[in-house]
Amino acid sequence: MSYIEAKVPPKREQRLGACNVYGGDGCGLKKSFGGCCLQQAKRGFGQGSICQLLPGTAIVNTISDAVVIVHGAIGCGGPGHTQNAGVRGTQMARGSTNPRGTLWLSTNLNERDVITGGEEKLEEAIRQADRRYRPSAIIVISSCVPGIIGDDIDAVTSRLQPEVAARLLPIHCEGFKTKIMATAYDAIYHSVARNLLDPEAETVSVIVDDIEVARERIRRSKLVNLLNVSSMGSVDEKELTRLLNGLGLEVQIFPCAAHPDDFRKVTEAALSISTCPTHDDYFVKHLQQQYGVPFVQRFMPIGIENTNQWLRAVAACFNLESIAEEIIARETAELRDALASLTPAFVGKKAMISAGEVRALSLGNLLQELGMEIVAVRPYHWDEFGETALDQLVANQVREPIINVATVHPYESVNLIGKTTPDIYFGHPSDSVWAAKTGIPTIPVYHGGYTYVGYAGAFEIARRAWRQLANPTFNHRLKQHVRQPYQAQWLAEHAFHYITEGDADGPY
Amino acid sequence: MAPISSFIERPRAFCALGGAVMTVTALPGAVPILHSALGCGGSIYYNQYGSTGYLGAGFCGGMSVPSSNVGEQEIVFGGVDRLDEQVRNTLKIVDGDLYVIVTGCTTDMIGDDIQSVVRDYADQAPIIGVETGGFRGDGYKGYDLVLQGLFRHYVERQDATDPLSINLWGIVPGQDVFWRGNLHNLKLSLEKLGLRVNTFFTDGATLDDLRQAGRAALNVVVSPRYGVTAAGVFEEVHGTPYLTTALPIGPSAMARFLREVSARLGLDAARVDAVVAAEERDYYFFIDRLADTYNDLDLQRYAVVVGDANYATALTRFLANDLGWLPSLTVITDDLYEDEQAHYHEELAALTSGVTPRLVFETDASEINRHFAKMWPRNRGQKFYHAFSPAFVVGSHLEREFAKNIGAAHLSVTYPIGNRVVIDRAYAGYHGALTLIEDLFGVIVAER
Repeated sequence: MSYIEAKVPPKREQRLGACNVYGGDGCGLKKSFGGCCLQQAKRGFGQGSICQLLPGTAIVNTISDAVVIVHGAIGCGGPGHTQNAGVRGTQMARGSTNPRGTLWLSTNLNERDVITGGEEKLEEAIRQADRRYRPSAIIVISSCVPGIIGDDIDAVTSRLQPEVAARLLPIHCEGFKTKIMATAYDAIYHSVARNLLDPEAETVSVIVDDIEVARERIRRSKLVNLLNVSSMGSVDEKELTRLLNGLGLEVQIFPCAAHPDDFRKVTEAALSISTCPTHDDYFVKHLQQQYGVPFVQRFMPIGIENTNQWLRAVAACFNLESIAEEIIARETAELRDALASLTPAFVGKKAMISAGEVRALSLGNLLQELGMEIVAVRPYHWDEFGETALDQLVANQVREPIINVATVHPYESVNLIGKTTPDIYFGHPSDSVWAAKTGIPTIPVYHGGYTYVGYAGAFEIARRAWRQLANPTFNHRLKQHVRQPYQAQWLAEHAFHYITEGDADGPY
Repeated sequence: MAPISSFIERPRAFCALGGAVMTVTALPGAVPILHSALGCGGSIYYNQYGSTGYLGAGFCGGMSVPSSNVGEQEIVFGGVDRLDEQVRNTLKIVDGDLYVIVTGCTTDMIGDDIQSVVRDYADQAPIIGVETGGFRGDGYKGYDLVLQGLFRHYVERQDATDPLSINLWGIVPGQDVFWRGNLHNLKLSLEKLGLRVNTFFTDGATLDDLRQAGRAALNVVVSPRYGVTAAGVFEEVHGTPYLTTALPIGPSAMARFLREVSARLGLDAARVDAVVAAEERDYYFFIDRLADTYNDLDLQRYAVVVGDANYATALTRFLANDLGWLPSLTVITDDLYEDEQAHYHEELAALTSGVTPRLVFETDASEINRHFAKMWPRNRGQKFYHAFSPAFVVGSHLEREFAKNIGAAHLSVTYPIGNRVVIDRAYAGYHGALTLIEDLFGVIVAER
């Protein structure tokens, strides 16, 4: 049975053996991943982390003409207030002069509901949302409480579907069910696959226009799905679209900011192109099996060589290798000239990175290309999709970078910063501030307003690193005036001291 | 048991756990220990970041909060062992002055006995535990629950009270985006009455001050709702009476506020009169030189005010009674029982300016337009149409869309605020009102 037939997709721990607890080196990581002992690893000290609901809402809140119902207690959808900024940005980029931003409801499950169940309340929310906002889709995303009290959101949505005009999408994001936030990507694609991909009722033409049919077939032969991620802004999409257009391909972008009615077009494409291997495998494999759409997903186009490889892999699917090589030669030559004035500032500079798995490692590849040494990389989780970039990262450097798999957990990063003394830190929003308090400059690993991907991204990241290194005064002074939350004895301790039952080898 | 409630559109509040974390992290040197699923810490921070005027993590907030990160295994078998390990290691790693265990939905539902863990570590560090599962209520409730816990288990019993010492609360960190500035301004004015004012969170307050809070002669809660239950607990445990009053913004409200506090403390009426007179002199010293612009540019406005139970009436009162505006629709966004609503109707019926805004209770931003349409007739092609103009919407960033739809100017004053950066700005008190005027009129002249 395909995963898609089940109500709930498997969690990443089961499907991919994914883990998020490790400290050591790259070789040790691969060894213990193969041996499965990573899954037993635990932290004896935890810090507030990220569950699958957060990336879950980050994605579904971007879907256009949709209302999101967060089925849970009142706080679970709260990040929607912050996600509002990016969604407004997208709406304005598409021409809105009075953008609404994120539109989400909370079923506000309370003390009564945890006893009596929340299904009725969810039903009411769906009916009202349909009537009040007239959206194309209503996305029901469930958090911990319904998972414990046993609300059946699939039953509710199928029961109500005939009553409402909007398409209903149930999505399971109960935070306690998986340690791997990337499970959210599967949860969303799962519901998209089950609810939005059925082909439109064929319009039967009275007169068949052979030329029109042929034209459409040719168009589709050069049509590709570019799969974006919620941490990517429209400037990133523009850069990747530019490169794919250079190959003569027509680009349609999913899933973020797409319209519910447009998802079915994903099955018409000649190729699916992932921008983040660990983001899309569940979906692209389904598209291949069910609709015969092949995919490429080995590289994330962050870093010069990664972008080259990403473009080559796409080109190979269309026998366009020579055009790709032309683009690569032209782009890299221009980029090399442009970087010449910036890279002297990076000589001898050490960097630490903390981010989603493939982004963290790919960014490491880029920083190495710019002339920095990577002292430590902290991927948010680990699975097979990080391997390509990890191998590259290790091969490119004389001194092995430390690999610390952790979904944030700044106590480990602050400890490592003390011991490896990086000059600059690349971190998630919410994560970088803890590095900042140690006095070093930081750069967010994603931000909707900046370019990260492709050749433009390589140049932009270099420009930003140059700028941060040119005046790190803010964080220098911050360090002198704020109190660190950690005991001195912790900062002297082995960084992976509290990781148990796993592999905690390495010099720190 | 909680009432049968409905869904809420874009709730303007954290959950109880979120409010608890905001409250604990606002205390100097305090460290929350979350006993919850792994994502609660992150979701609270990602909520906080873009809704509180970019209030950062602070000493040990954000992603640094210790958290037991319970999963399926603990939910089935119980999470107390995990919490025990978490607390044990927190004390080794984190350098806090007070540790507060706060719980999430999952661990509250399975009934973990957190107090047993608190007892086990009570001799090693100052530590208390509060059950704050998100389903118990909103962020305001979480604030109240944490204060209750502190008042019961952390504030020391005192034999004697200091007749000139008061505690001031009711301004909820984060939920009031201007909490730091507001507490500061009110404290300054109260000090002019000769009082020692403990705000717990600001102005160099220490945990010692909090521990000694039982010395106060009176607890002043500047809210009709937030922290009121905690004030009852304080009275029950320490015998200290309390006064609940409205959040005072501007000279009219401040005069009432200062007189109310001093009357409850039995202070010399002449002294409070002198303080009020001096504060008003100071306020009008500035207003004097704004008067030209107010009159020359005709800065009177119709207004729609949208905010929580503290702000909605407080802002309306200031706009009507001091600024001379015409607040016409006031929206309280708290999810209130009907019997709780009467108080706010009375408050607004008593505006000294005689302006009588329509008061509605509405949680959902997109419904405000509907309330407004009922109140103000639309132009049906009339040549001479008495429009709701010039107008201003004073609310949260969620009201931008509505303001633009009705052609009104807009300022974010109430939660959530993601379109302004707020550090020590204040709107409460005398100088807070001056700042509010600067910000309101600043919007109007911005394009000149």
